[in-house]
Amino acid sequence: MSYLCLENVVKTFNKTEVVKKMNLEIKQGELVSFLGPSGCGKTTTLNMIAGFLEVDGGKIVVDGKPVHLLPPNKREMGMVFQNYALFPHMTVFENVAYGLKLRKVSKDEIKSRVAEALEMVRLTGYEKRYPRELSGGQQQRVSLARALVIKPKVLLLDEPLSNLDAKLRQEMREEIVDIQKRVGITTIFVTHDQEEALAISDRIAVMYEGRIEQLDTPVEIYNHPQTDFVSRFIGEVNQVQGKVVKTLNNQESLVSFYGYEQILTRHLAKNSVIDFYIRPEKIHISLEPNDGIVVKVDRKMFLGAKTRYILHNKENKHIIADIPNTVLNPDHVQEGKDVSIQWNSEDLLATKK
Amino acid sequence: MRKALPKFGLNFFCLLVYIFLAAPIVVVLFSSLTTTEYIVFPPKGLTLRWYTELVNHPEFMQSFMLSIGVAFGTAIISTVIGTMSSIAVVRYQFRGKTAIMQLVGSPLLIPTVVFGVALLQFYSWIGLATSPAALVIGHIILTIPFVMRLVVASLVGFDRSIEQAAMNLGAGSMRVFFQITLPIIKSGVIAGAIFAFITSFDDLTVALFIVSTDVVTLPVRIFTYMQYQYDPIITSVSSIVILLTVVLMVVIERVLGVGKVFESKNE
Repeated sequence: MSYLCLENVVKTFNKTEVVKKMNLEIKQGELVSFLGPSGCGKTTTLNMIAGFLEVDGGKIVVDGKPVHLLPPNKREMGMVFQNYALFPHMTVFENVAYGLKLRKVSKDEIKSRVAEALEMVRLTGYEKRYPRELSGGQQQRVSLARALVIKPKVLLLDEPLSNLDAKLRQEMREEIVDIQKRVGITTIFVTHDQEEALAISDRIAVMYEGRIEQLDTPVEIYNHPQTDFVSRFIGEVNQVQGKVVKTLNNQESLVSFYGYEQILTRHLAKNSVIDFYIRPEKIHISLEPNDGIVVKVDRKMFLGAKTRYILHNKENKHIIADIPNTVLNPDHVQEGKDVSIQWNSEDLLATKK
Repeated sequence: MRKALPKFGLNFFCLLVYIFLAAPIVVVLFSSLTTTEYIVFPPKGLTLRWYTELVNHPEFMQSFMLSIGVAFGTAIISTVIGTMSSIAVVRYQFRGKTAIMQLVGSPLLIPTVVFGVALLQFYSWIGLATSPAALVIGHIILTIPFVMRLVVASLVGFDRSIEQAAMNLGAGSMRVFFQITLPIIKSGVIAGAIFAFITSFDDLTVALFIVSTDVVTLPVRIFTYMQYQYDPIITSVSSIVILLTVVLMVVIERVLGVGKVFESKNE
């Protein structure tokens, strides 16, 4: 049973549709990320859910009740902003207590609930500080406590980690997921950082040009991208061209990749040329020549646990391969020398446009 | 040692600037203590006679109270209108916005004398008699540009997601304005109000055109008095105004912190 529903939601700015008939269903307690490049409509969609933007068409339903006509202060949603948006003239305590005061909660209850919220974000003892006296990470935690203390129906996070430095970002995202799971709150997390989205989401909605391209679990999104955009956007891919040599039967075809022939379990029309994607970590390098596609090593980059090889074949097609150093000792591969590459046919990502 | 000398030079230079700025005030304060019938500096002898003499001139006190009243009225109305207009101008796009900005800024460019004449013409045309209200209206026009400049400056770069956060927590638009927006732009608003007050209290040029025999502000009273008499009572009145200003500044400093009020940006 879905808790938050978007039904044919449309948003138009200056006659351009920035959100196009969007449909989305989120289950109670689920953490869904909106992932996409800037301008894909993810923040616009979030602002429509929060009520800062009006919908130009369609419905937003929370817990069975339509909310898209309510003003933002009546929607019972908690939002965490990219730049924290703490009230600079209020202490940490006053910031967190603000939403409770508006709800006419008794003083004693405010005290205990604020204390509880601050404890949850590990900021007990900071009650009397002003936002300017806190670090970015602490400010974001206050912001999270302020959003959660009112026990909202939905938690909305608008790129909450993008102003933090890399290490802190990782810590904070774990903390956010931890709290989210503990509270069990339905959450939407907007981000343009795919690693972040893959790491924390129950499901990811990959957005592009105002549409949800794919809504799936991180594993499915990564391993089985459904569209051309998702294949290219998530992770890194090499684009390779396969020419169908012949159709073997209804389920199998023989495809040639730059002379390297492979049987794919798909029915493909003979002589057609098809683009496939293959991830750098799915490529195998063999030091034997003629054991797959023959390529020249342009450069190798030591990346710690793995080494990245930049290769090109006779047709000058560039290919990137990431190989763990435990699998292939980079010392055995010399720049300028020929090696062979191959891959398992099931690792090829097909493109459906 | 090599560093100490430039620092001494800088301090000395600053001292000179301070003396230059403060000298006229000091001259007025000391001159008011003279025993002579005319104004002289340094004062000859010391007496508070010119302060007690004020009792015989109730018109100075009347003018003083009038000036304070007009300045208060001007500051309050001008700050309210100026703040609201600033918000409209900074946050909304509408037709004629640039024109309004220019129009509002024009009293800063037009010489006050010209403005005084214009106001006089206008008032006689619409048949508005001389009154404190007429003065206040004139001063509002004069001071709104100051208020708007300061408030606009504190609104530019205002992070509106702070207001969204308040709304998100359940605050309606009135609450958001009074509990969030206003406290954040407070320093600009207060600075604007102080500027409006001082500009109005200090104004001679515009008031000269508008005042009548029974509505005379303090600067006009001092000015006209000096045209006929040149006795130290002028300096004693001026000294009282200076002392009051100092007291006002100290109070504001204690309550709000002048440094804070005049900071262009709060964090």
